[in-house]
Amino acid sequence: MLANVATKSVLERWKGILIGAGSIGLLLLMGMSVYRNVDLGLYTSMPAAMRGLVGIAEDTDVGGLAYGAIYASYGALTLAALSLSMGSASIAGEERNGTLGLLLGNPKSRTSILVSKATSMVGLTAVGTLVLLAFGLLSPALLSVELGDMHIPALAFHMFVISIFHGFLAMAIGAWTGKNGLASGVTAGIMTISFIGVGLFPLIDALKEWARIFPWYYYSNSEPALNGVDWGGIAVLIAAMVVLAAAAVVGVNRRDLRGQTTGVSLIDRLRTHPMTKKVADRLAGSARVSHIWIKTLTEHQGLMIIVAYIEFFIMGILIGPMYTFIDEFLLDFADALPEAMLALFGGGDLSTAEGFYQVETFGMMAPIAVMVVTIAIGARALAGEEAGRTMGLLLANPIKRSRVVYEKTISMIAGAFIIGFATFAGVALGSVIGGLGMNMGNIAATCLLLTLLGLVFGAVALALSAATGKPRLAIFGSIGIAIVLFVINAFLPLSDSLAGLAKATPFYYYLTSDPLLTGMHWGHGAILAGLFVVLIAASVVLFQRRDLRQMG
Amino acid sequence: MTDQIAIHTEMLTKHYGDVKALVDLSLDIQAGEIFGFLGPNGAGKTTMIRTILDEIRPTSGSASILGMDSRQESVEIRRHIGYVPGDLAMYPNLTGRDTLTYFANLRGGVDWSYVETLANRLGADLDKKVGDLSSGNRQKVGLIQAFMNKPDVLIMDEPSSGLDPLVQREFQKMMREVAAEGRTVFLSSHTLSEVQRVAQRVGIIRHGKLIAVEAVSDLRSKAIRTVNIYFDAPVDSAEFVGLPGVREATSQNEHVTLSFDGQMETLLKVVTDKFHVLDITTHEADLEEIFLTYYRDEEVSV
Repeated sequence: MLANVATKSVLERWKGILIGAGSIGLLLLMGMSVYRNVDLGLYTSMPAAMRGLVGIAEDTDVGGLAYGAIYASYGALTLAALSLSMGSASIAGEERNGTLGLLLGNPKSRTSILVSKATSMVGLTAVGTLVLLAFGLLSPALLSVELGDMHIPALAFHMFVISIFHGFLAMAIGAWTGKNGLASGVTAGIMTISFIGVGLFPLIDALKEWARIFPWYYYSNSEPALNGVDWGGIAVLIAAMVVLAAAAVVGVNRRDLRGQTTGVSLIDRLRTHPMTKKVADRLAGSARVSHIWIKTLTEHQGLMIIVAYIEFFIMGILIGPMYTFIDEFLLDFADALPEAMLALFGGGDLSTAEGFYQVETFGMMAPIAVMVVTIAIGARALAGEEAGRTMGLLLANPIKRSRVVYEKTISMIAGAFIIGFATFAGVALGSVIGGLGMNMGNIAATCLLLTLLGLVFGAVALALSAATGKPRLAIFGSIGIAIVLFVINAFLPLSDSLAGLAKATPFYYYLTSDPLLTGMHWGHGAILAGLFVVLIAASVVLFQRRDLRQMG
Repeated sequence: MTDQIAIHTEMLTKHYGDVKALVDLSLDIQAGEIFGFLGPNGAGKTTMIRTILDEIRPTSGSASILGMDSRQESVEIRRHIGYVPGDLAMYPNLTGRDTLTYFANLRGGVDWSYVETLANRLGADLDKKVGDLSSGNRQKVGLIQAFMNKPDVLIMDEPSSGLDPLVQREFQKMMREVAAEGRTVFLSSHTLSEVQRVAQRVGIIRHGKLIAVEAVSDLRSKAIRTVNIYFDAPVDSAEFVGLPGVREATSQNEHVTLSFDGQMETLLKVVTDKFHVLDITTHEADLEEIFLTYYRDEEVSV
């Protein structure tokens, strides 16, 4: 087999895998040490459906909580995300870079290249799993925590299988379409929706059985950490992977390879039609290139439309009516939960509609949504033009480097506000449709804080982009920083002695003031805005000092 | 403005860690001149251009364009230049016209009738997306972008790569017109023939060092030629070694190959006296041969 193609892919990716798995491992260590100080009395009496929401095993103890909260969800999501990025890049990534033709200029078949890529994806995911497993087994020993009857290897095995499942899914889509962005985007979307669905559907009687449509169900439903490997669930995932792998082989062999061509969008079609030519030309042409910031914004329009759509329809409108269907029993139970416990749910109190929205929408999904957009814009802002070798041309014009940074910042602000507004509109409509009577001003305040939070992490990406000129480093660096700070903010408050540290994270200034109930906390808003301004100023300085990178 | 200095560098030096990409490069280019900047791949041509355009900063030394400091007044400089980067890349999703509009906006507008003229002369298709163009057609958009604001100084890094011979000829004409108007062209290239056709002077760079600045006419007289002679009977290369102007001779049966930089007339006389010549071909030695022959010593001594 193409040992060298597989080896090359491994060499390109091993750092990301080790860093990703290693940081999740460190988070486990931290989570476990925090949980040692927490009274666990109430966890054990939680109903199964509610535990599903956060992935905690029954009869849980310190170990179980840490594994449930950190490994089973964040760990699996991170590992699966790494696999899917390898899967989508395997064929489609080489096509995007225009290197697939070169690779196939050698006497190797398309199938054998695909097999090599799949081998490296599976191998690297296995390495990541082993790192996680090592941390999983070492942490309790280091902290002298009794694990009881936990099946850590079984959990790790389940994580490995669900991760490569997403890798194969992305690979199949990439092989059929040759579109790297589409493959990773669709797969990430399926993963996110199935993660949410598996948590949410069991809360509603009518939907309970439907949770089986989500791949994530076969990973988490059997609670492998507690019950060992569920071979039935694994078999379903493996069967699906065989189908996907076969589909990938067929897909890559049947179609024309893409050159470095561009997609044809709707507006391109309108531009060629005589009736719509004039208007479309203005929109796609002269208006689009009138300013750097508008052009930058249009480059991210596809991503923004998808994210805004998810925020508006799924995380906004859908959640409201869903709240009215939730079991009374669960709500009563949630009412009795102590404050510290609620942190696990994103700080929301499930007995109120506001709390439910906080858990489902604002706790995790909305920050992710707005950050996906701001980080994408921030990371590509400068480093993207350098990697695309267009920065030299852009700066051959009589404009200062600082102006480029400022205009890119404007497009980031516009993008963040678009997502913030979509969220506001969705939640407000959801509240009206569900008859929940939430305060509109408070929703707006929460969405404003959300927008500011997204801008802070977008500015982190921009600063990394300005300092290094490397888009991948800017993207993964800022995502890594965001995950670590998110987890610190979510878990440190559980321990009295460490609670103060949460104030050092931007997340603290987002939801801690309970804006859905109490309205705008201008002080917290000002802190987020101030942080954003400081990071942008730093980006300007960093970018002005540096030699532009030359690629290729 | 012919006696004005368009580009001036003084002991310009750029190190990347231990790699010395540019070493003490001092150069003056007159306004109204077409200056060829010659060197093999990796010699430091692109580094020099990127340094004077403030894309990267010199380790030491300084540069100025039209009397303005390349670092302090870089924005003002860029108002007066047109630039074609080497290995040109543009925004694949924009059409040629969108791309030019974008840059025109950043410059505060251009004369669009002139853009159309340029597009017609080069045969550029401005309505296709740049990502869908072949590299030569993409290069045309890059050239229009550099010429469209009628810059005082044109700085071009390997600008004719991918252009077909007809378009190259038109492009050379455009450069001569620019110079005729008193504007300046700085043309970096690794093809001697192109530079010879348009430039008045050339600078030769190797391993980051400027090893010679010569008038093109002088360079031509130095140029080595490769001469192939075919005879009606086998010959020995030793017969040719030592003839005036012959630097090297190799033979294979009836065929001899000479590295030659002397008078063609003398060579022909000697050869036709001794042998029956069936055919002669001769072509210009490539740049690397000239470097090896003439500049090896200078390089060692620098």
